[in-house]
Amino acid sequence: MANTQAVCNSFKTDLLNGLHAFGTSVVRAGTAADTFYAALYLASGSLGAGTTAYSATSEVSGTGYTAGGIAVTNATAPANASNVSYWTPSASLSWTGVTLSTAFDTVLLYNFTAAGKNAVAVYTFGSQTVTAGNFTLTMPANASGTALLRIA
Amino acid sequence: MTEPLIHTSKGNLPVSECEHYIEWDDREDTVTFSEWYVHGGETVRKDVHVYAKQGQCAEAFQPTI
Repeated sequence: MANTQAVCNSFKTDLLNGLHAFGTSVVRAGTAADTFYAALYLASGSLGAGTTAYSATSEVSGTGYTAGGIAVTNATAPANASNVSYWTPSASLSWTGVTLSTAFDTVLLYNFTAAGKNAVAVYTFGSQTVTAGNFTLTMPANASGTALLRIA
Repeated sequence: MTEPLIHTSKGNLPVSECEHYIEWDDREDTVTFSEWYVHGGETVRKDVHVYAKQGQCAEAFQPTI
């Protein structure tokens, strides 16, 4: 045996579970998992790594779409495998009966429970419009190499 | 036989009166399937389904001390 330097796998998973606070922490309402939301954004937007929180700026609008987006189904706790901690929503994101006439290509995952509606991640796809129909975003496999949110 | 209808921006229309189109878009991180119906030259319904092949990964770099 020999010692090896590493960021511990348990720490990566702990980050997803909100266990550590190197900076000023927040008072949490309880120990239950937070609620996460997904919101759609126009292709003309500028979301990315610098996005800090949910904002209505450049969010899509149209028949059947509610500003702020939809709740993400979260029935599977974060896990770790192959030195990667990961998490994936346990159901597809689905908007039904919507008309979104202006091209959109982005979904923002954010913490709806947090007072600041803090951003988690930004995902892009091919630019789309929807007319009196459905938009579905099917989640990737919840595994170390594919999960929607991973810390390696 | 009752003619099949489809819900559109113009209300319920007979499917046979609409032109139907589909498109696949296979990219590095996503596969998108879209289908739309055109009636009188106007797109009256369009559905889009995106499959995310993989999400985003943040890497915890570990510099030597």
